[in-house]
Amino acid sequence: MTKRKMFLRMITASLLRRRSRMLIALLSIAIGATILSGLVTIYYDVPRQMGAQFRSYGANMILLAKEGQTLTADTMQKALDVFPEEQLVGATPYRYVRLDMTSRQQSFTTAGTDFDEVQKTSPYFSVEGEYPREDKEILVGKEIADTIGAKAGSYIQLTWRPSVTVNENASDDWIGGAKLSGSAEGFNAGIVVVEAELDDEGRIARLTIDASSQTPEIGGQVGTDKNFQSRFIGKKLPVTLGEDVDAVSGATISSQAVVDALNNAHSITKGTAAAERSGYFSVTGILVTGGEEESYIYMKLRDLEDLTQDKNLDVAELSISANAEQLEKYVSEIDKADTGVMARLVKRVTRSETAVLGKLQALVFLVTVVVLLLTTICVSTTMMAVVSERRREIGLRKALGAPDSSIRAEFLGEGMFLGGLGGVLGALLGFVFAQVVSVNVFGSSITFQPLLLPVTLLMSMLIAAVSCLLPIKRAVAIDPALVLKGE
Amino acid sequence: MQRHEGKSFEVKAEQISKRYFRKTGAANCFFAVKPLSLTLEPGTVTVLCGRSGSGKTTLLHILAGLLRPTEGKVRLGETDIYSLPDKELSALRSRSVGIVPQSRSVLDILTVSENILLPQTLYKTKADRQSAEQWMDTLNILHLRDVRAGELSGGEVRRTAIARTLSMNPPIILADEPTGDLDDENTELVFRCFRQAAETHAAVLIVSHEADALKFADRAFRMDGGVMTELT
Repeated sequence: MTKRKMFLRMITASLLRRRSRMLIALLSIAIGATILSGLVTIYYDVPRQMGAQFRSYGANMILLAKEGQTLTADTMQKALDVFPEEQLVGATPYRYVRLDMTSRQQSFTTAGTDFDEVQKTSPYFSVEGEYPREDKEILVGKEIADTIGAKAGSYIQLTWRPSVTVNENASDDWIGGAKLSGSAEGFNAGIVVVEAELDDEGRIARLTIDASSQTPEIGGQVGTDKNFQSRFIGKKLPVTLGEDVDAVSGATISSQAVVDALNNAHSITKGTAAAERSGYFSVTGILVTGGEEESYIYMKLRDLEDLTQDKNLDVAELSISANAEQLEKYVSEIDKADTGVMARLVKRVTRSETAVLGKLQALVFLVTVVVLLLTTICVSTTMMAVVSERRREIGLRKALGAPDSSIRAEFLGEGMFLGGLGGVLGALLGFVFAQVVSVNVFGSSITFQPLLLPVTLLMSMLIAAVSCLLPIKRAVAIDPALVLKGE
Repeated sequence: MQRHEGKSFEVKAEQISKRYFRKTGAANCFFAVKPLSLTLEPGTVTVLCGRSGSGKTTLLHILAGLLRPTEGKVRLGETDIYSLPDKELSALRSRSVGIVPQSRSVLDILTVSENILLPQTLYKTKADRQSAEQWMDTLNILHLRDVRAGELSGGEVRRTAIARTLSMNPPIILADEPTGDLDDENTELVFRCFRQAAETHAAVLIVSHEADALKFADRAFRMDGGVMTELT
């Protein structure tokens, strides 16, 4: 019998003779490895799983036009190129316009959008009825539906008009104290109303602006900033923003709305404004969200473009399955690219996602550490008992000339064998464990990570080795003289 | 470190003593072995007798390199064995010192023949099967060669341990009550075997109660309360 054979024989004999003890040690390593492998799988899969879950709470990024630029389907598509296909859950374009409901002489904010994408970025939208599929079909917010008595199957005539009204007193040449008032869409389809009075030479002599529909402190400044209003005094219509007058810093859209309102009023009177257009739309469903969406009408983007003859977009809502760090990176990539589009994170969503994920991962990590600690204690206690049982044998071998290193090697060998076997069992059971957790908790399956097998194996062997340190110390400290005396 | 394999050399204990401390009782410090010197010469059989607790086994373990003396030195040839690091001392013990312990000293999971070849298998490059079989035959256990040690009687276990020591062909043999479990016939046989080993230049020390042992001794000592005196 060779030395190696004898070594293996002694290890296997030792393992077999103490079957119950070894089974306990093996079981604890296997359980430890199962939890390790399972939780590591979950640890790395949680962002993906939870990411998909979080996406049901809505968009986490929006795209806007950069200052002086426009957002269109093309520029939006270019911006979307930065996202890997698997991370882009959905990208929904929105264009907001006020449309008149002909029968009731009321106007409502109408959003032109892509309904397939809406269902991806706003899965929480609840529709009583169905989403529109064909052209000329619309969704009506519950609030509007209640007001106008619309329901699925109703028909509504919607009309687009240039947002301007002209004072009756206005004369052709705009000279001599003519008064005009007009309105135009500002930020997020909010209406900015202006009233102006011209002097004898057709120059603006007096101007009042109502921008209460705009965001206070930002776009709203166009209504309160006297300095901005004074820039129009003495100017002839039409005026151009950036040339005749400068915009309020940070409120370009609202400033443009003031200019548009004035110019619209001027062009209507001159007979050059776009004619109104209208169409009949079939209501396919009522939108119930519990939020401000209930006060909007939604139609296909193409239908809205047909009405307004305008292909610009106001905003695009994106749902990206990525962590906060990646999202920041994408934002910076989009902002740097020369597409005229800028991206902004919906901080409320991304922050809570990051916080929840962080806590969940910390919990998984903590549980893993505790389980591994318990495994170490259990294996160490078992090996300690084995050393006590084999005290006489170890003493004899030392008396026969066994150096401490061979005693260490043998116990380490036993431990590593248990660790290896437990590791393989644990890696396989861990996948089953992770799969069960994933299916029951997250409702989706996970894929097996081949790398986890060697990692679990190595970790189990390492834990087994660490567990053996104290028992080995005990074994090496056995005094052969005492054992040989029968003490 | 010197190599002793295949050579005969003496064991020399120089003023060795072993002192123990008790945690309880009035006399908390006592000598198991009081300062003594002893030389085991190659080719001789030395017998050490004495009452239980007189310090015989302690002295044997000190000579075997298993128990560090409180004072004094033990030399195998020129080597002060307790100055060696553990690995070298273990190697020296496996090559040069054959011990027959007082207690049951076989591994129950191994057969008789595996037990006998154990030190050679684990710590030497090549096992001397011929010598092992020869000693098994001499000690009447050859027929038990494939029997697991766990199934042996006390006497058979004792002879297996003796065969293991003799098969190693060590220059130093230290036997602690080697005939404790044996009948008269086997007791004499064992003493003859040790005598035979001494004739091939081994230095043999036998710790024994048996009066018969003295018949085979070149030198004999008695221990009493840790003090050793030579019997003439």
